[in-house]
Amino acid sequence: MLRLLRRSVQARAVATTVALSSVLLVVLGGFLSFSIGNGLFDARLKQVLAESEVAVLDAQNIFAASSVSDEVALQTLMNSVVPRLEATGVADSRRVALLRSPGQTGAQILQSPISSGLDTALISPAFRSEVRASSGRVLYQSIQLSQTENGIVTSNPGIVVGSPLDIPLAGDHELYLVFDLSSEQQTLSFVQQTLFIGGLAIILIIGGVAYLVTGWIVRPVKVAAEVSEEIADGALDVRLLEKGEDVVAVLARSFNKMADSLEQKITKLATVSKMQQRFVSDVSHELRTPLTTIKLAGDMIFEARDDLDPQLRRSAEIMQGQIERFEVLLQDLLEISKYDAGAVLPELEIHDLSQVVTSAVSSIEPLARKRGSEIKLELPDGEVVAEFDSRRIDRLIGNLLANAIEHGEGKPITVAVGVTSDAVAVRVTDQGVGMSENELERVFDRFWRADPARKRTSGGTGLGLAISLEDTLLHGGSLDVWARPNQGASFRLTLPKVQGEPVATAPLPLPEKTTTAGSESDE
Amino acid sequence: MNPKILVIDDDNALREMVGIVLSASGFDPKYCPDGNQALSIFESEQPDLVLLDVMLPGKNGITVCQEIRNLSGTPIIMLTAKSDTNDVVLGLEAGADDYIVKPFEPSELTARIKARLRPLTSSEAIVNLGPLTLDLEGHQVLRDGEQISLTPLEFNLLLTLAQKPKQVFTREVLLEKVWGYQYKADTRLVNVHVQRLRSKIEEDPDNPKIIKTVRGIGYRAG
Repeated sequence: MLRLLRRSVQARAVATTVALSSVLLVVLGGFLSFSIGNGLFDARLKQVLAESEVAVLDAQNIFAASSVSDEVALQTLMNSVVPRLEATGVADSRRVALLRSPGQTGAQILQSPISSGLDTALISPAFRSEVRASSGRVLYQSIQLSQTENGIVTSNPGIVVGSPLDIPLAGDHELYLVFDLSSEQQTLSFVQQTLFIGGLAIILIIGGVAYLVTGWIVRPVKVAAEVSEEIADGALDVRLLEKGEDVVAVLARSFNKMADSLEQKITKLATVSKMQQRFVSDVSHELRTPLTTIKLAGDMIFEARDDLDPQLRRSAEIMQGQIERFEVLLQDLLEISKYDAGAVLPELEIHDLSQVVTSAVSSIEPLARKRGSEIKLELPDGEVVAEFDSRRIDRLIGNLLANAIEHGEGKPITVAVGVTSDAVAVRVTDQGVGMSENELERVFDRFWRADPARKRTSGGTGLGLAISLEDTLLHGGSLDVWARPNQGASFRLTLPKVQGEPVATAPLPLPEKTTTAGSESDE
Repeated sequence: MNPKILVIDDDNALREMVGIVLSASGFDPKYCPDGNQALSIFESEQPDLVLLDVMLPGKNGITVCQEIRNLSGTPIIMLTAKSDTNDVVLGLEAGADDYIVKPFEPSELTARIKARLRPLTSSEAIVNLGPLTLDLEGHQVLRDGEQISLTPLEFNLLLTLAQKPKQVFTREVLLEKVWGYQYKADTRLVNVHVQRLRSKIEEDPDNPKIIKTVRGIGYRAG
């Protein structure tokens, strides 16, 4: 319930409306019930007083007109007065008591006649003394009449009216008339009940109306929310319905305007990005034809270099080397543009990582020897099989090895292969110049070079590690780097054994302070 | 007489440079600068091999390839800047025997050409394979006495398989024996040419009886 209130504007609006109107209705109902009750009482009281005056007068007349002289006749007369007074007025709502005033001289011989079922305790002594002192005026007091019916005690409002009555021969008496207001109470109860039921109905109706109205107002907002959700999910062409001139229509129009410009911007950006990717790809392809010509021509000259004078010969050699570098650069550019276009699919097969690493090491060994670096290979026992694209992983390892040789300063390079239950890894560690923390952060950036001032010898393209990272991500693996200035660097490639499976623990630990790029481990 | 090579390429510099490389390697280069003239020059020059750029102004390389194939089985090697696109497969399906990706080494170019011009060697003059009779001297294939026209490459492929019937050849072995590749090459070459060959020699190419596919390994004859 609370969750509904928190989540739904409509539920909140309806609940608030119902709560506020309930309070108002309770106050209003209370006031109505009070004033109706008062009105009923006042009307009844007026009637009661009028009746009482008539009754008192009647009683006075009876006694005044009587000529009884003996006590028995007087008692009979007094007894007859009570039912006579009872009988008049609204049926069953008036009881009578004729009480002798206390404190008179002379013994009380006569009985005070009292209507049956009337409890004289209802007539309080205080009221009686007020009546006695009233010098003939009719007085009243509100009382509670209790009634026992089938063992259940119910209490009804009543009025007791009193007046002194002088009875010849019998002394001062007081005549009390007790009126039962239960019919008024009933009327009031009925009115209250009606008010309650009516109020309840009104609250329900208000709730319903509030629900409808808020629903009517909230619906466009809801639709707008849904539509913006869809747009956020990539459906850029979804729009709101624009209808009418009201604020909802204004909302829809401005929302659509916003969505339009958003769509335009996104489409434009996507187009620009696609055009850029296309451009890189096209440029790379367009460059290939002239490069082929240059390469063929360069090769012809290079083959004939022995016939040239020394300066031309050296030129031919330099040109040959640079043409090769140009070609590699072009290849890398094309490769990265393919990744940018999302057009790369790995050719996954089961391979032995140890074998791939061994062959990569042996093919780069001549270069390592030339630079004075010894490559130490640490292979685990048994096969290190995993699912990967051997061409890409071979290239990746070759790239890590070439980096290690270039930055290794002729010190030994260690290549380790490791395996766990769900992953395989290869770690290439050199003891060369290493990298600072700042450099470490940028190591996978395109065309970034660790130290621009340092002379380059192996002629890397600057795209090597960027492509390596893309290759790693393509396999759902991770590429971690550790490096310290002048202590060397360590690159670790981790590949899941089965594509799409998460890697719980990576084989081959790296020292701390490691930059991790890619894959599940940091997601 | 030196083998005549027709170089069809719109890039003047490359065309001339390829010509220089070919001349230096003992070939006799002829030139064609666009697709529209390709067929008439081909017919007038009658080259031993065609080097064909895929992207040509006028008629594109694929169409030119098909037109030459309709006329003869002369070996066609395509030059392409994009190895990973559909162009390569389209070119092979149009009848090209092999392709070279730009930029290439001169040695690579001449090696590919030489591989395509190498004459067949066989100890036997006649090889029988099911309903087929391969006549090596006449360089023709007969099916129930009826001649089937095969390109030299297709003939070579069929002969390689037929000389050792029942033996399974992997795609890599076929690439080495038929195409002359020493290192790993594009296995699509084998797939496309086996399909082309089947469409000529099999009664039902979708249900081959003569050249069978061995799943996950390669192909075998019979």
